[in-house]
Amino acid sequence: MSIELSAIEYRYRDATALAGIDLAIESGELLALLGPSGCGKTTLLRTIAGLEFPDRGRVRFEGRDVTALSARKRHVGFVFQHYALFNHLTVFENVAFGLRVRGWFRRPRRAELERAVSELLELVQLGEFARRYPAQLSGGQRQRVALARALAVEPQILLLDEPFGALDARVRADLRRWLRGLHDRIHVTSVFVTHDQEEAFELADRIAVMNKGRIEQIADPETLYTHPANPFVCRFLGEVNELPAALHARWTGIDDERVVAFVRPHDLEFSAGEGGARVEQVRDLGANMRVEVRHPALAQPLVAVWERSRFARSGLAPGRSVAVSAQRQVLFRGDAPVDAAERAGNALRDILVTHG
Amino acid sequence: MSAPRLASNALRDPWWLRLPLLMLALAFVALFLVLPLLAVFGYAFEKGVDFYFASLVDEDARAAIRLTLLVTAIAVPANTLFGIAAAWLITRFSFPGRGLLLSLIDLPFAVSPVIAGLIYVLLFGAQGLFAPWLAAHDVKIIFAVPGIVLATIFVTFPFVARELIPLMQAQGSEQEQAAITLGAGGFAMFWRVVLPKIGWGLGYGVILCNARAIGEFGAVSVVSGHIRGLTNTMPLHVEILYNEYQRTAAFAVASLLALLALATLALKQLVGWRMRRATPADGTHA
Ligand SMILES: Nc1ncnc2c1ncn2[C@@H]1O[C@H](COP(=O)(O)OP(=O)(O)OP(=O)(O)O)[C@@H](O)[C@H]1O
Ligand SMILES: [Mg+2]
Repeated sequence: MSIELSAIEYRYRDATALAGIDLAIESGELLALLGPSGCGKTTLLRTIAGLEFPDRGRVRFEGRDVTALSARKRHVGFVFQHYALFNHLTVFENVAFGLRVRGWFRRPRRAELERAVSELLELVQLGEFARRYPAQLSGGQRQRVALARALAVEPQILLLDEPFGALDARVRADLRRWLRGLHDRIHVTSVFVTHDQEEAFELADRIAVMNKGRIEQIADPETLYTHPANPFVCRFLGEVNELPAALHARWTGIDDERVVAFVRPHDLEFSAGEGGARVEQVRDLGANMRVEVRHPALAQPLVAVWERSRFARSGLAPGRSVAVSAQRQVLFRGDAPVDAAERAGNALRDILVTHG
Repeated sequence: MSAPRLASNALRDPWWLRLPLLMLALAFVALFLVLPLLAVFGYAFEKGVDFYFASLVDEDARAAIRLTLLVTAIAVPANTLFGIAAAWLITRFSFPGRGLLLSLIDLPFAVSPVIAGLIYVLLFGAQGLFAPWLAAHDVKIIFAVPGIVLATIFVTFPFVARELIPLMQAQGSEQEQAAITLGAGGFAMFWRVVLPKIGWGLGYGVILCNARAIGEFGAVSVVSGHIRGLTNTMPLHVEILYNEYQRTAAFAVASLLALLALATLALKQLVGWRMRRATPADGTHA
């Protein structure tokens, strides 16, 4: 079932949580809402679920206006950040809840209910835990009970609020691969909230990056990474170096404008030689090495992350003088990206190199 | 392991201070709680077992017991419903007047029960505000059972709500929201989610409410009119008997109230214990 949000605004008493959200989610899509803490992700998700009603704007499911419809009637599966399992009920009864509270004419018969719940428990690999209580489960298991409970009512839309937020890194990675597999099998339109960009990239078909109650950009992971719409998106998608640079018109030879080149740590190059920069620190990250370089023209050190072998070949060590260059960069003039056509007509002059 | 022990030893007072304090506390309890309780039973049986039971099955005593049970049977369920509704409103919604409602719930604790009774007399009595209407419709409230019920409800109103509000506040509403997204209506949510969660706390509040409803004297005394066999509750009956120098009979009925109090205490301990045991298992937010 497709979801369309148009011009959604939501205010808490003293804070604007959503400041005009337009978002169209296709049927069967897996979309990630990515953004820093407090940017309105949970509020947006709750608005879709009908747990919160927007001050302005409309929510539509498959073209049908559901803005005024209560959560009870929206038929949306919701997985809460802290699971919100019913502590006084067994795992089985938690999952069966949505079926048991149906009106008597729509309630499945006993054998049918037991079969449906058992199937779901198998699906989330918790068949043998049916008789346990939530307090007797691990975090990852509770998480899957919450998912099975939401799926039991066969929702057309599944909403997950930081589904892996409370789990340790290993379980997180396992669970998200498993969730991606599940989504590929049952194809329910899904929206999940996260502030972990790696999680968003691995799981989602498309990612909506949010900031201060607005959507900054919505795109597939590849586009988002290679063509971030603005510096905020670029910064939010991981560590990035910001180098002052100038666009140099090829034919006239005039520096027309100052721009900022955003360079990812693994795209940064240091070559031994006089460049004015100096290796300050080298840290071992396991698979990679992290090199920090101090340049007199910059307040922040430049950071490169290289594979071990590449680092070994470079022969860098703390104290060495180096020249800085970049394999790949994204250019911004103010808040706007410099587009490819403009790039082609100009040469990029790295201020660090020329004035260093 | 030894560090915490040392710390607690360090906090302990020396024995020459501890011993007198302990003695003082025990003497206090003996003098003001145990002795009176023993006295009640002592006086109740001072003319023998036969007299004791005769006092209890006396016509007026039975009427008083019946009335007390009737009043309790109305006031406790009513306040259970009010209490749940008030706690629900206060913990789940924000609305103008929420703070006012919170303080109003405490009002019966704050004012003297006698004043509470007087307010009802002023409202519903012969010279009261609603007197003309009541007279026209031939409804009697003051010096009748309805007045006693009203006064008892007023005095016992805070017990259930006061018990539930902190409990429901601590539990939060996430499970209820989960129930709604799963399609549960108000009724199903209440029976399947809210009630099991507040169960023991509710029981605790109801027990306290019940004890007070049975034992209430001040407010009921003002509105009752002390009509023997009609508007006398057990505490009022005890007072009347005592004033008429029927000391043994008075204490016999009083012993019944004391027994109820002891039973309440035991039940309260049990429920409190169950409640504390039920809470740690609630940790989904691990
Ligand atoms: N109940 C509330 N009352 C008042 N303000 C609130 C309330 N809930 C959220 N806010 C505010 O609304 C804004 C958006 O909150 P929201 O919970 O949607 O953020 P979020 O993106 O989910 O953050 P996080 O990643 O930390 O969960 C925040 O500035 C927050 O302070
Ligand atoms: Mg959130």
